[in-house]
Amino acid sequence: MTRALPAALLGVVVLAAIPLATRNSFFLHVCILVLMWTVLGAAWNVLGGFAGQVSFGHAALFAVGAYTTIILYLKCGLAPWWGIPLGGVAAALVSFPIGILCFRLRGPYFSLATLAVAEIIKLVALNWESVTAGSVGYLITSLPPVRLFGLNVNWESKTPFYTAAGALAVVALLATGWLRGSRLGAYLVAIRENEDAAEAVGIDTVRAKVVTLALSAFLAGMGGGFYAFYFRYVDPDAVAGISLSMEMVFIAVVGGLGTVAGPLIGAVFLTAVAEVVRGRFQTGHLIFYGLFMMLVIRFMPEGIWGRARRLTARAAAGE
Amino acid sequence: METLAQTLVSGVLTGALYAMIGIGLTVVFGVMRIINLAHGEMVMLGMFGAYWGHRLWKLDPFVSLLVWVPLMFVFGVFLYRFLLRRIIPGGELNTLLYTAGLSLLVANLALFAWTGDYRTIALSYGVSPVRPFGIAIAIPLAVAFVLAILITLALWLFLSRTDLGRAIRATSQNPEASVLMGIDVERVAMVTFGLGTALAGAAGILLAPSLYLYPTVGELLIVKCFVIVVLGGLGSVPGAIAGGILLGVAESLGAVYVSGAYKDGIGFVLFLAVLLYRPSGLFGAGK
Repeated sequence: MTRALPAALLGVVVLAAIPLATRNSFFLHVCILVLMWTVLGAAWNVLGGFAGQVSFGHAALFAVGAYTTIILYLKCGLAPWWGIPLGGVAAALVSFPIGILCFRLRGPYFSLATLAVAEIIKLVALNWESVTAGSVGYLITSLPPVRLFGLNVNWESKTPFYTAAGALAVVALLATGWLRGSRLGAYLVAIRENEDAAEAVGIDTVRAKVVTLALSAFLAGMGGGFYAFYFRYVDPDAVAGISLSMEMVFIAVVGGLGTVAGPLIGAVFLTAVAEVVRGRFQTGHLIFYGLFMMLVIRFMPEGIWGRARRLTARAAAGE
Repeated sequence: METLAQTLVSGVLTGALYAMIGIGLTVVFGVMRIINLAHGEMVMLGMFGAYWGHRLWKLDPFVSLLVWVPLMFVFGVFLYRFLLRRIIPGGELNTLLYTAGLSLLVANLALFAWTGDYRTIALSYGVSPVRPFGIAIAIPLAVAFVLAILITLALWLFLSRTDLGRAIRATSQNPEASVLMGIDVERVAMVTFGLGTALAGAAGILLAPSLYLYPTVGELLIVKCFVIVVLGGLGSVPGAIAGGILLGVAESLGAVYVSGAYKDGIGFVLFLAVLLYRPSGLFGAGK
């Protein structure tokens, strides 16, 4: 922790300096995406990396957050800084029944169950038209005039979104860092390594997993809420598709399963690739996502950050 | 009454093809304990094989089975030999994630090469259905059904009558004991993966004249495929057949008698219920 603190502070300073240093809106856009995916990757990593419960349905939680936030804004006029956390809360609430159902299963069976749950939630989003507007989806045409610290917030610039995404990413990484050091985190590692043994030493494994899923859902839901305001458009295909679930998995795995900084590294790496390729071909980035996934699993299953940490540890020990 | 009969018949016909996809996945799971998330993409490749064969060389899709199925087998063997073999010792979650990557890679390469357009194969005999007993049956679907049964029968003969087939079943039942009995498990795994891939490709070819084909169709099919194999019990071939037909019938009944919008949901609810209450499948022995 003593070494992590200066690194975290440095990270926050760099984060704060980026919008001051550049006015290039494309670069800021990429930074916003990186931060958003960091939140989503961290959300998945809490459950998949620390507890070893591979979910293929996290898009459902993201969708619950996105829908909650956008509906609260359009129907009740609730401001983003209330709507986004409430989106997280809604996702966490939805996660309880999902967790209680799916955590009765283990390993690949759990993964398949989450996939089915996500498909059911997508179908509900498509067909429950009175609430979700069906396949038409919701569009935000204008954001409210807001004064913050005596300044008008300019929604057309990227800066307010950058700030919000940065704050969410910091929250997500702090939550992951806290989890790693906590008693719950220790329980989760025990569950990941050997669930029967964990149960045998008296850990309430189902409760630990359900609480972790709620934390993970809260982060994913806030990511969804942020997405709704940033892209200003929510429909079932955009927020509840399988590919979205998969992208969260990939970011966490490529960055480093069960590490705090892994999702940030994964998001930087994969988002950069995606934005470079997207100019030539719409979904071309997914080719590279698939390829990187295979290469990472084959050659460094601990992920980029996991490998880097092991190498630095070895170098330190060699001195 | 007429509607019910019609619905049941088309459900069974589609179900037999679903079953074939399921068998491929379940055989591979039985021997290697891996869930191949790229299985849907193998079906997709079969579908596009049939499409291009028909488009470029005027090859009837059902005749093109003779070309593509052996090729898909070889492709599967190569996939196993050069990619998957090194991953499997790393554990089932690694394999799951690896095949997820493979699935994304193959689907999006196909999207890149063939664009996302929806395509159909227009067959001269696909226009007007036959009507035995007043039930309309599309000819391509009927041909596909018959071929699916023949292929499944051939598979059953292979698994029960040949040495290699017996070795596959033995490995599926108990890998450690099979090694002790002198079975080359590595070779069995390679053949099984080729077989699974070939079955997926064959199912894709049979389905191609009856479905829209597009590069990401595998996403839809793989989810159906999970429903099927979980219904029947992972690793069980008869289970996959029953599960496939059950899903086909449930879907077509659902489309007619329940809202069309939620018909895909029926499969998932069934799937979750079975996963939770009978994880070894509807017909499994129970744990």
